[in-house]
Amino acid sequence: MPQSKQRGGAASAASKDSKYDLGKISARVDRVNVSGLLRTHNDYVMRAADGLFKADNFQDLMLEAMSTKSYLHELGIFKDVSVHIDVSRGADASPQGYEITFKGNEYSRLMGSAGTEVGQNEGSLRTELTIPNILGRGESISLQGSYSNTRANDLQLKFWKPFFHTRFRENRPEFSFSIFRQTDRFDISSFQSTNLGYLIDFSAHSSLGVDLTHSLQYENSIRNVGLLNKSVPFSIREHCGPKLASLVRYSVVFDNRDANVFATRGILLKSTNEYCGLGGNIAYTSSTAHGEVNVPLFSGYVAQFCGRVGIVKETKQTTLLPIGSLFYCGGPMTLRGFKYGGAGPVVDGTPIGAQTYWCTGAHLWAPLPFAGVFKSLASNFRMHFFYNIGNTNSFSFENMRTAFGMGLAFKFADRARIELNYCIPVRRQATDKILNGFQFGIGYEFI
Amino acid sequence: MQQSVLLSQLATSHKLSEEPWPEDATLYQPYEVEQILLPENASCLAVKAYLKMCNLPFDIRTCSNAEHMSPGGRMTKLPFIRAGAFIFAEFEPIVNFVEQKDMAIGNLQDEDEKADMRTYVSLVENIFTMAELYISFKNERVYKEVTAPRNGSVYPWPMNHMQNYGKRRNALRLLKVYQWDDLNIDNVIEKVAKCCETLEYKLKESPDTPFFYGDQPCELDAIAFGHLFSILTTTLPNMALAQTVQKFKHLVDFCRFIDEKYFQTRCLP
Repeated sequence: MPQSKQRGGAASAASKDSKYDLGKISARVDRVNVSGLLRTHNDYVMRAADGLFKADNFQDLMLEAMSTKSYLHELGIFKDVSVHIDVSRGADASPQGYEITFKGNEYSRLMGSAGTEVGQNEGSLRTELTIPNILGRGESISLQGSYSNTRANDLQLKFWKPFFHTRFRENRPEFSFSIFRQTDRFDISSFQSTNLGYLIDFSAHSSLGVDLTHSLQYENSIRNVGLLNKSVPFSIREHCGPKLASLVRYSVVFDNRDANVFATRGILLKSTNEYCGLGGNIAYTSSTAHGEVNVPLFSGYVAQFCGRVGIVKETKQTTLLPIGSLFYCGGPMTLRGFKYGGAGPVVDGTPIGAQTYWCTGAHLWAPLPFAGVFKSLASNFRMHFFYNIGNTNSFSFENMRTAFGMGLAFKFADRARIELNYCIPVRRQATDKILNGFQFGIGYEFI
Repeated sequence: MQQSVLLSQLATSHKLSEEPWPEDATLYQPYEVEQILLPENASCLAVKAYLKMCNLPFDIRTCSNAEHMSPGGRMTKLPFIRAGAFIFAEFEPIVNFVEQKDMAIGNLQDEDEKADMRTYVSLVENIFTMAELYISFKNERVYKEVTAPRNGSVYPWPMNHMQNYGKRRNALRLLKVYQWDDLNIDNVIEKVAKCCETLEYKLKESPDTPFFYGDQPCELDAIAFGHLFSILTTTLPNMALAQTVQKFKHLVDFCRFIDEKYFQTRCLP
């Protein structure tokens, strides 16, 4: 708590035997001030003080003050917040009364940032221009552009509004609307898909027994499939041209891991369901599920089991599935030891996506040897042994693909993982493109 | 790089001449009743006429995204033909492809005559395609009442408007490239009339045969038929082109004859 200050009578109020037990020092919050609100409406921060007034000893008061501080941060209006705790003075001050002041420093009118971002098996350059807190209640607009090493690019204009200040504060409801133009290159299948459209997103937490994060989206976009070279199998060429997609997407996440990247315990479950065909001329349903279980073993060793499954199906309205919604299996994110998309169906020598796929992985994570010596640096690295099993267009264990190997992983910015593995594919199909040897992977959701 | 392109072309043409005409050759075009536009219809009809004249079997498949599936071309990008592993779009590449297989018509002529014929083909293709594009996209009434609704018919709202906008922009750009954008309708009719006059003159050179060159059909017959017949049989709010062509009785008779011989649609009055 570096920014909190304790002054005045706090120490003298303590009795002798409980000098250092702040929980026994009674306290009462007389007044809470939030200063620095220039553009923000007062009612937006009203709920900040809710917990503070309930504190009846000094320890609670301190803890509540810190949680209020982080709440104020989450409101998305302040660059930084400092907390000042003082005894209350004046005519109506109570004997154990305190006065707490949060000094906030609001975001400037316009913020810009540029940097790198890690996507699934790609790195990208990103620039962003944000106008925060336009209307005084956390509403913001941002313009984002990114360009990745796979030549995919993305432009997005997004407006979002959090509802953290309402009585649903615990549920963290947030609404966003974005207009986007996004190009995805499927180099392995020689086509690219340019999507232009808008997305409405509503997300919230629920904590009925288990903590879940929900997100409900509606997307309306024009998806234009174009070819990347001349000699493309006809079954891919058939998909060319623009189509209008109108879909709802619901995703739910359960995550109780102790870390995003090198978790030592906990479970992650994630499921995304899409229904496309509310108008427009693309129709399909798509479901994917991803799971990860971490079990701590001994002296820093962790066993990890991952699995993922995806199904895309026709609806009654159509028989032709959009080629861009199919699943690619293989690559450092899914089946190590195979090239990206190399473990799937092939048409005239060109891999295309599969309608269904599943893959699983078992890992044994180990800290680096001599990790104790360079503790801070070594905590960013892990060694792992892995075994991957997967298949496409079939849920049986016949004709499946397997690979194993070992490698070194690096934690990047607490969110992404960079891996360098030596992979040995064991079982493969004749048409598969394998990679026997070193494979490099970068991303945030691995199997 | 340049060399490798030439080499690959050579390899392709070598491969082409070895294989026979594939059984499953398929011609792709937009929907004829509700979608296809005048310039596209003309070039599709020209290719169909040519293949029929060569007596080559082919299937016709209509699909709404034919233009987007096409590997690209100089003008309408349509039709395109899929023969085995090869895909060719528009009249000239398809004709070249057939010629490489030694199944083409008009082989009897000498080189001079052939060059002469090619000139006519290119004249007909340029003038008529441009005139058709002009009437379809630059004439406000034709665009609003025919071109836009037809082109947008295969897309759901609001995509139809965006697609129409893009299509019109491309058409106007093409007209600008060929310097047809600042002409008025009278200039266009004048150009078409002149082209028809040239064609009729050429047709009259061999009065005892129904074709342009001798008693065998050739590329010129196919492309002239494709454009003239399409113009004559397409009903537009502005019939200036059809009225111009109708003034040339020999050309109308020629169209009637080719239609009777190869298509039997009998929609010419």
